[in-house]
Amino acid sequence: MVSSRLLLGLGIIVTIAGAGILAPLIAPHDPIRTGSVFLGLPTSENWLGTDDLGRDIFSRILYGTQTSLVIGFGAAIVATLIGVPIGLVGGYLRGKTDLVVVQMIDLFVALPGLVLALILTAMLGPSIPNLTLVLGFVMWPTMARLVRGQVLQIREAVFVEAARALGGRDSWIVYEHIWPNTIRIVSAQFAITVSFAIFTSASLSFLGLGVPPPTPDWGSMVREGFQFLALRPLMSIAPGAAVTFTILGFYLVGSSIER
Amino acid sequence: MMKQLGRIACGVLAGLALTALTLGVTQAATQPRTGGTLNVGFVEDAKTLDPTFSVQWSERQVLYLVYNTLLRMQPDFSLTPELAESWEIQEGGKRVVFKLREGVRFHDGTDFDAEAVKFNLDRRMDEAVGSPQRKQLAGVISKVEVVDSHTVAVTTEAPFAPLLSYLAERPGFMISPAAAEKHGEDFGSNPVGTGPFVFKEWTRGSRIVVEQNPDYWEEDLPYLDGVVFSDMGGSVVGMQRLMTGELDYIDSLTPQDLQLLEGADDIELAQIIVGRWYSYQWQWDKPPFDNAKLRKAIAHAIDRDRLNEVTMRGQARLSNGPTPKGLWWHADGLLGYDHDPEMARKLISEAGAEGMEIGLATPENQVLRQLNQLVQEQLNEVGLKVELEPVAQSEWYSRVVERAINFTPMRWTQRPDPDGLLSILFHSGGFANSTGYSNPEVDRLLEEARMTFDQRQRKELYDQAHRLILQDLPYVPIYFAAEFAAMRDRVMGFQWTPDQVPRFYNVWLAQ
Repeated sequence: MVSSRLLLGLGIIVTIAGAGILAPLIAPHDPIRTGSVFLGLPTSENWLGTDDLGRDIFSRILYGTQTSLVIGFGAAIVATLIGVPIGLVGGYLRGKTDLVVVQMIDLFVALPGLVLALILTAMLGPSIPNLTLVLGFVMWPTMARLVRGQVLQIREAVFVEAARALGGRDSWIVYEHIWPNTIRIVSAQFAITVSFAIFTSASLSFLGLGVPPPTPDWGSMVREGFQFLALRPLMSIAPGAAVTFTILGFYLVGSSIER
Repeated sequence: MMKQLGRIACGVLAGLALTALTLGVTQAATQPRTGGTLNVGFVEDAKTLDPTFSVQWSERQVLYLVYNTLLRMQPDFSLTPELAESWEIQEGGKRVVFKLREGVRFHDGTDFDAEAVKFNLDRRMDEAVGSPQRKQLAGVISKVEVVDSHTVAVTTEAPFAPLLSYLAERPGFMISPAAAEKHGEDFGSNPVGTGPFVFKEWTRGSRIVVEQNPDYWEEDLPYLDGVVFSDMGGSVVGMQRLMTGELDYIDSLTPQDLQLLEGADDIELAQIIVGRWYSYQWQWDKPPFDNAKLRKAIAHAIDRDRLNEVTMRGQARLSNGPTPKGLWWHADGLLGYDHDPEMARKLISEAGAEGMEIGLATPENQVLRQLNQLVQEQLNEVGLKVELEPVAQSEWYSRVVERAINFTPMRWTQRPDPDGLLSILFHSGGFANSTGYSNPEVDRLLEEARMTFDQRQRKELYDQAHRLILQDLPYVPIYFAAEFAAMRDRVMGFQWTPDQVPRFYNVWLAQ
C-alpha cells in the first residue's frame, strides 16, 4: 500500500526535479548575468525581485535546484558506494572484521557531520565535486551502520541458514539473499542522505565554504540575502524555503519507505 | 597579521578638507556636556592592548583612549603636540629633540618623563622583545638619549622624514615602564597609559570597558564617564542594535548598508574622509601576470564605473593610483586605464592569453564578493576564463602575504606619511609587498624621498614613483570607497581622522 506521505514526498521531488531540469526553458532570466536594478522589489518581470547584483532571484532559485540535486544525489551515491559494502561485510562476517567496522563507524558518527564537512571542505577547497565527495564521505557511516544492523538480523534467518547448508559460498549468499533484503533500508537511507547533503551543503555555503559564486546555489543565496534581511527579506527567505521544501520531500519519501 | 598594520590610515585633503570636515563633525557648536557612557559597536578581535605588540585593527580605537602618543595626528593629517610639547629638527634631519609635557602621570601614578620615552622606543627596537614595529624603527633610529628629565633626543642613521608621523601612530603610544615591569607578559591585558580613559575590563571576543581618568592632563577632557566597546556581531546586527539604542556608534558601513538605516531620523551619519583604496593585485613576477600585456588588458577590461555603481551606489571615487586627491603626495595626471574592452581583447590576443583560465581569490566580505563577481563577468567578456575561488576571510590576507594567492582584490587605508603605504607596498623590500613587485628605480625614488624633508622635492620624487608604478601595474586601482560611521544623534563632537581609526577622546553625549 502506498502511503499519502510517500505520495506527497514523491510529488515534491518530482516538482523540484522538474523545475531543475527545465530551468533553462522556464527560467525568465539568465541566473548569472548581473543586471541594472539592484535589490529590486518583486515585479511582473522579476517575480521574487532582484538581488544585490541585479540578478533575478526566481531564476536563480530554479537553477539552484540543479546545484542542490547534483550535490544531494552525488553525495548519497558516494555514501552508498562506501557504506553498503562495508556494512554488508561487517554484518555478515562478524568477528574481528566487524569489530574494525564498528569502531570505524563509531569514530565517524562521534564527529558532528557539519563540523567534519567544514574541516574537509576547508582542506580540499570548495567546489561542487569536492562538496559532493565530502558530504558522501561524512554520511557513509550512517549508511554502513544501518546496513550492518539489518545484515546481522538477516544472516540468522532460516533461508540464509538453508543456503549455507546447501554449501553456498559467502559471496553468493550475500549477493543472492542478504543484499536484496537490505535494499529497502538502503533506499530509505539514500533519500535521507540526499536531504542531509542538501541541507549541509546549504549550511556550508552559508558559512562561505560552499559552492563558489556566481553559481546559483540556495545556501549562498540565503547568505547573500542575510546582509539585506531587514530590507529585502525575500532574498533569504525564498531560497531558504526552497531548501526546506526539498528536504521535506526527500525526508517524507525516506521515512515512509523505512516503515 | 600585518594587514592591520598596513591598512591603517587614510587620507586627507587640502581642498576637500573643509567639505569633509563639515561632513565628519556632528555639531560641536554647543557647550560639551560631561557624563554618560558611550556604547561603541566594533569587531572584537583584539589580541593585546599593549601597543608594543598591537597589530589588530580593532585594538587601536581602544589604544587611543588609554594612551597618548608623542605627537597627535589631526583630522587633516597634520601633526600637533600631545605628550611632546615641541620638537626641533637638528643636524640636517638626523636628530630630533623632543621637549616633553611636564606634570603628566601614568594611571599607576608614576611620572611620564624622558626615561619613559626612551624605555618605550628602546623596547620596540629590542629584537628580544619582538615588537612588530621593530622593522619600522630599528633600521632607522640609531639611538634615543635622555637629555634631561623632560627632554629626549632621537638620532637617526640618515635623515628620516616619516619619523614624526610614526610617533603619532602605534610607535608613539607611551606605556608606563613601571606597569610594564610589574605585569610582564600580562601587560597586554592590564594596560597602563597616560590617556583620558583608564582600562577597566576586557572580556575577550566580547567587550572592552574603559572609564574616565579623573587626573587627565588635558583641560576639560574627557567628557564621558566611560566607553564600552562591544562586539557588534556583524554590520546587519550592529545596525539593528544602533536603531534600538543599544549601541551609540558603529562604523565601516557601505552605501548599501545605509539603506537599512533609511528613515531612522535619530541616527546621524559621518562619512569617512577618504575611504579605503580598493584594488586588484597579482603576483607581478610570476606567470601569468608577469606578462605586461595581460596586466594592461585586465586593467582595460575592468569597468570601474560599474563596480562603483553596484557596490558603492556610485559614491566611491575612482582611483588612478594608491593616493587620493587631497593628500599632498597625490600625483596628478597619472595614466588612467579606462574601460576599453576592444583594447583589452587586442592586448589579450597579443599576449596569447585567449581563453586562459585564471583563478580569482574570493574572501567572504560582501563588497569583495560583489566586486569579484562583476570583475569575473567583465574579464570573461574579453576572452579570459575567470573562476572565483572562495577563501575563508580569516585566512585570506595571511595567504596573500605567503604569496599562496596569485590574483585577489585588496584594500588599504592611508597613512599620514607617504612612506607609510608606498614603501610597504611598492618597495621591493616592503614588508607588505606581496606582489613580488620590484623596480630598482622605484626603490631608489622611495628611499631618496624618505630622506628628503622638503615637501616639494619629496613630492616630485613620489610623482615619479607613482608614474612608474602605474606603468608597471602591480595593482589595478579601482576606487576609494565611500564608508560611513552611524551614530545616535546624542553623540557629539565625533570627527574622523583620515587613517579611519575612530577616536573618542573628545566625544560627548547630549541629553
